[in-house]
Amino acid sequence: MKTRLPDHGPLETPRFWRTLEERIETPEAQQAAHDEFLPGAIPTGPSYDDVHGLPPQSGVSRRDFLGLVSAAAALAATVACDRKGQGTVVPYTKRPVEVVPGVANYYASATHEGRRVYPLLVKTREGRPIHLTGNDEHPGVKGKTSPRTMADVLRLYDPDRLRAPKAEGRIIGWSDAESRLHAALAGAKAAGKPVLLISGAVASPSRKALLADLKAALPTLEHLAYEPAAGDAAEVAGLASYGQPVDLQPRLDKAKVILSLGADFLNGEDPEAQAAWGAQRRLKSAHDPINRLWVLEGPLTLTGTNADQRVPVAPSRLGAAAFALAKELAAKGVALPAGTDLSGIPAGAPAGFPAATWSSLVKDLRTAGRNAVVLCGAQMPAEAHQAAHLLNAMLGSEAVGVRATEPLATVKELEAAAQKMASGAYAAAIFWDVNPAYTFPKAAAWKAAVAKVPVRAWIGQVEDETAAQCQLLLPENHWLESWGDYATPGAAVLQQPAIGTLYDTRPGEDILLGALKALGTNAPDGYHAYLQARWKKELPFGTSFEQALHDGLVKAEAKTPAPAFKGASVAAAAKKAAASKAEGLELVLFPGFATHDGRHANNSWLQETPDPITKMTWDNPVAVSVQDAKALGIEEGDLVTLSLDGVTVKLPAVIQPGQAQGVLALALGYGRTTGGVAKGVGVDAFPFLGLDPASANARTGARLAKAGGRKELSRTQSHHRMEGRDLVRSLTMDEFAHNPQGHHHGPELVTLYEEQRFPDHKWGMVIDLAACTGCSACVVACQSENNVPVVGPEQVARGREMHWIRIDRYYEGELENPKVVHQPMLCQHCDNAPCENVCPVNATNHSPEGLNQMAYNRCVGTRYCANNCPYKVRRFNFLEYTAYKTEPETLAYNPEVTVRPRGVMEKCSFCVQRINDVKIRAKGDGRAILDGEITTACMAGCSSDAIVFGDLKDPKSKVSQLVAASRAYRVLEELGVKPAITYLADLKNPAVEGGHHEA
Amino acid sequence: MKLDAATSAGDIPEGLVEPSLYVGKVTPGSLDDQVLAFPETRPPRQWYFALAITLTAALIGVISIGYTFYLGIGAWGNTSPVFWAFDIINFVFWVGIGHAGTLISAILFLFRKRWRNAIARFAEAMTIFAVICAVIFPLIHVGRPWLAYWLFPYPNQRALWTNFRSPLLWDVFAVNTYFSVSLMFWYLGLIPDIASMRDRTTSKLRKVIYTVLAMGWRGAATHWQHYEKAYLLLAGLATGLVLSVHSVVSFDFATSVVPGWHMTIFPPYFVAGAIFAGFAMVVMVLVVVRETMQLKNLITMRHLDVMNKVILAMSCIMGYSYMMEGFTAWYSMNEYLHHAFMNIITGTYGWAGWVTISCNILIPQILWFKKARSSYFWMILVAVGVTIGMWFERFVIIVISLHQDYLPSAWRIYKPTMVDFGVLLGTFGIFFTLVLLFARVLPVIATTEVKAILPDAQPSHHGDDHHA
Repeated sequence: MKTRLPDHGPLETPRFWRTLEERIETPEAQQAAHDEFLPGAIPTGPSYDDVHGLPPQSGVSRRDFLGLVSAAAALAATVACDRKGQGTVVPYTKRPVEVVPGVANYYASATHEGRRVYPLLVKTREGRPIHLTGNDEHPGVKGKTSPRTMADVLRLYDPDRLRAPKAEGRIIGWSDAESRLHAALAGAKAAGKPVLLISGAVASPSRKALLADLKAALPTLEHLAYEPAAGDAAEVAGLASYGQPVDLQPRLDKAKVILSLGADFLNGEDPEAQAAWGAQRRLKSAHDPINRLWVLEGPLTLTGTNADQRVPVAPSRLGAAAFALAKELAAKGVALPAGTDLSGIPAGAPAGFPAATWSSLVKDLRTAGRNAVVLCGAQMPAEAHQAAHLLNAMLGSEAVGVRATEPLATVKELEAAAQKMASGAYAAAIFWDVNPAYTFPKAAAWKAAVAKVPVRAWIGQVEDETAAQCQLLLPENHWLESWGDYATPGAAVLQQPAIGTLYDTRPGEDILLGALKALGTNAPDGYHAYLQARWKKELPFGTSFEQALHDGLVKAEAKTPAPAFKGASVAAAAKKAAASKAEGLELVLFPGFATHDGRHANNSWLQETPDPITKMTWDNPVAVSVQDAKALGIEEGDLVTLSLDGVTVKLPAVIQPGQAQGVLALALGYGRTTGGVAKGVGVDAFPFLGLDPASANARTGARLAKAGGRKELSRTQSHHRMEGRDLVRSLTMDEFAHNPQGHHHGPELVTLYEEQRFPDHKWGMVIDLAACTGCSACVVACQSENNVPVVGPEQVARGREMHWIRIDRYYEGELENPKVVHQPMLCQHCDNAPCENVCPVNATNHSPEGLNQMAYNRCVGTRYCANNCPYKVRRFNFLEYTAYKTEPETLAYNPEVTVRPRGVMEKCSFCVQRINDVKIRAKGDGRAILDGEITTACMAGCSSDAIVFGDLKDPKSKVSQLVAASRAYRVLEELGVKPAITYLADLKNPAVEGGHHEA
Repeated sequence: MKLDAATSAGDIPEGLVEPSLYVGKVTPGSLDDQVLAFPETRPPRQWYFALAITLTAALIGVISIGYTFYLGIGAWGNTSPVFWAFDIINFVFWVGIGHAGTLISAILFLFRKRWRNAIARFAEAMTIFAVICAVIFPLIHVGRPWLAYWLFPYPNQRALWTNFRSPLLWDVFAVNTYFSVSLMFWYLGLIPDIASMRDRTTSKLRKVIYTVLAMGWRGAATHWQHYEKAYLLLAGLATGLVLSVHSVVSFDFATSVVPGWHMTIFPPYFVAGAIFAGFAMVVMVLVVVRETMQLKNLITMRHLDVMNKVILAMSCIMGYSYMMEGFTAWYSMNEYLHHAFMNIITGTYGWAGWVTISCNILIPQILWFKKARSSYFWMILVAVGVTIGMWFERFVIIVISLHQDYLPSAWRIYKPTMVDFGVLLGTFGIFFTLVLLFARVLPVIATTEVKAILPDAQPSHHGDDHHA
């Protein structure tokens, strides 16, 4: 005690005293007067009890006691705190390896759509996959992927997924389900009766090996790989031209001249092609090399909108035109492959083809030679494909890789299978991840045939039209829950699960492995072991399986020789092409941008992503050419009846500028009858699909008539002209060379106010319109990253879609073949943001780094900011779009981004969560942020690298250099709002003066 | 109707002498009996009938607003890019209606326009009710109405403050100030009359209520002295507000970047429009009041004639403003502004533009004729036309400007929903319900002010006394 106070020596007799003891100076009183606290008040020293000789009651001082009581009270209060609806929070007792709360983990994996493989990087948070990007280690895709693949993460959390095996409509256990399947297969084997297995395309070598093993164990197995949207004509033509099924890989980095015969390779599906295209379009100066894209097509495709020269040609005339091109080239000295006979083709330009355009196309192809490539759309007739193969062979094109591949079953083989089923030949049928009851053109006949098969098993995720036909439903894992592998050019790709199974589901391969074992073959337990065993043998020396999994791929060059072109196949095709003519209207059936063949129809993100051309959501109207609409008196939104071969469908029409006269276009993948989201959206176009594989998707003889009545179109853009405003600048190469700013030099903008200062960073973005194809991958990427809600068709029709980034698409020039421009439009993060000063509650304001930020909590929803936004990029939650959501849907949310409630304004944040993530990591490492280290979701999702984000304060950053480029301009700059987004003018490389406007 | 003139003053030429502001013999006593006795009588059946209609309309409004609270702003037709529609149209419309009362009671008071005395009370009441209808909208139009109080700058533990750069915040202050001053002004003027009613009534309940409301008024000379001073001061205060409120409301538009909103002419143009709409509404209601409440001798055709002249003058100012809008659009060489103006006369909503122009500019020109100014048919036609026209003027400004602004990709047609119409109907219901209730419980004419223009009020003056 004495040590705590300075010694004042003996105390004098006090003049005033508190107690008698003090007055008479007892030692205790002296001590008490000297001490600051009464005994027991402080924890150390003799306690009150000790001092007064009392028996010890407890070792706790008053102070300790109070401390304990308050701590106990605080703890009790904390424990008692349970906000309504909070639920039970259970912390990890044993933290899973690799999972750090709040830190994202990335796993390499992959998926496929048909034959196309998408190597991916899966972002997981707390074990949940939430965002997908391409695998940047892969030599082809280089970190890019397709819009549909990015949206596929939502399918993992689809509440409609079947969660346990079912037999005859009742939930059963796996052992029961498997024994039923095994009994059926064993029975078939014993009886020697055939078993039908229909699956999707087999792009995986291990899956192929497994199917071979199964075939060995069950010799009566008949396997069909069925991709209803792959285009049977391409398959047929490949077989004809090369004698085997082929897969064409465009290598556009080597292409100077690209001729597309209705090929839509810039629609986002093919990230490699798009990246190569973008690389040749992001020009710094007019001297940089640029390719030239020729497009001959019936419907207007996204590729057609990006064409330098586009000529509308109906699909029925496409083959003849392409063969005529070959004949013309041959006449000009390009050697024809041996055995080629083009005598059936008349010489010269096809009828209606402008002579100047024709000759410059011929010249372009001839000059480019090996650097020219001809690509044909999967939906075009087989003759057009064969003509494209011929042209590529003649030119010796290096810009396309022809690869032997696994065959796909065409509609003809399906029809044969249906007949065999109807005859009662099959003992069992297994439908694995296919939906022929919906996709087969004659669905009623198919269903009747399937009903004749005694045992029908279905392997899939969401109960579909085919599942309704089967007794045994075996729920399959989502690919994010499964193992797998793929062969791609340049690398073998591994697929690893990023999450454990959410439900009582199994990989489809596990089910087949189980069957394999039940049939008496020795096979490993589970597909993982099977895959690993195979790869241990396959992997190059020195590569571990773990390393391969980490990278997601093993680099390897294809060993198989390229198939050789067979010239003898040409004569028949040329004859057929020359004779081809359309009676009535031609109907092109193409896979839906959102739904593909219907497999994505239950994905609300994709349903609400506007079609890049029509800007339609949640529907598949029939696209009618301007001329036909005029002749038939059809207006946009009118209900029409479309009939062909006895099939009649009533649906709304849109008038499509640029579509060839006499051509109708209709998307497949809609009109599903199952699935919470998919059901009843649009009309089913599969019944129109032809049974002749050579022209299954390009039909002739369609009739269109007004049905009376209208439908309100759920369209995100309803005005398609720029009204002469300087919004999207588009330059020809000539203009780029001489006057890149055109006549747009406005007056110098002056301000009376002090310029804003940004001390550390000033974030900015550059969007190169020349590289942007309009594929809308950025829209999907943003939706996934920023928890953008889906509002549904009725709300979209009223203009209440919530996308933070949209692609504005404008037509210019004549309607029959207009020039089309795309412009990604998102919050411009203006320095003088008009939205900021009008918010009465300061809910939107400017960050010191130049971000226009939204404080959702503060927003009361006056909507004044949105009125005052010249770009109309602010989105208002008119209704409650999120609160009703429950698990598993909520698991898809990005925890870094607030989910916005009703009545709140929202908009693009420049992915502020990503900026902060990088800033925090850089600060932790004690370093500056690197240029290009921060990527916004739209930028990462853009396959053609049209979007660049970075720090405008850093003069060396890529974005700073692009801002100073000669093509740079800002939209509505004259308003003085100082947008932080700079656009680079679109570039067109026409061969003919004004070449775009001729029909 | 006899518009008699004082002719006894032979030194003033006929025609320059101000005509009488009442008809027949009116004495302070007869005035009290006529006006103050009204609330004591049993309402006629027609009154109940009218009240039933207005209450039904008000109920529809309340249900519509309740539905909006339940569902969200999505219950309305508002969309992108038309983020404001009926909500702000109705707000500006009702604030505008609320302008006539204060103009009549304050500005005309300061200008010593004695014809205002008989109609000021009613007009002021209509101001109060119109502003009540108006303030509904800023509250219900926000996305999260339960947080609307955040628009007030009050100290809070979140250390958050309002944005004083936002015209919407200026609105909050302007409308609040206007409402409180108008209410005070109206109540102050009511006090002597309430005291008279207190003294006349025989009902015990009424006696208690009027006693409380009269605040101890005894009519003492000191009371009158304070009263006159306060009245003059409040009139001065209210005068500024008449001009400021609608100027501030117009800032919501004028300070924005939206083509068609960003106009320097907006403040005076809005004030004129507000007076225009307000006078039309007052004329409409006064005609009904003087007919049904037997007040023809106090609210004379001369009053209506003067009101109609004001309407005509305002119509001309509106015409000028519309033409200036067109001129500015042309002279500015601004393509966006040009497009916005052409939209008014030729666009999708061009019909709304022509409704506005016809109702506000063309039809009121009939009031150049004295016959029209003294004919119920014509003046009601004009008043109804102006009310419709002024509502559509706000529709033109808000919806037409917003639906096509800078980027054509964002353009979209706006369609109102039934809920929108329900809310609009509801405010009319609330307004007329309040008017009907007011007419039953309070003196609709300021007897003290009318007494001031009776001959007895100025014994030295012999101008008006030959009727007495």
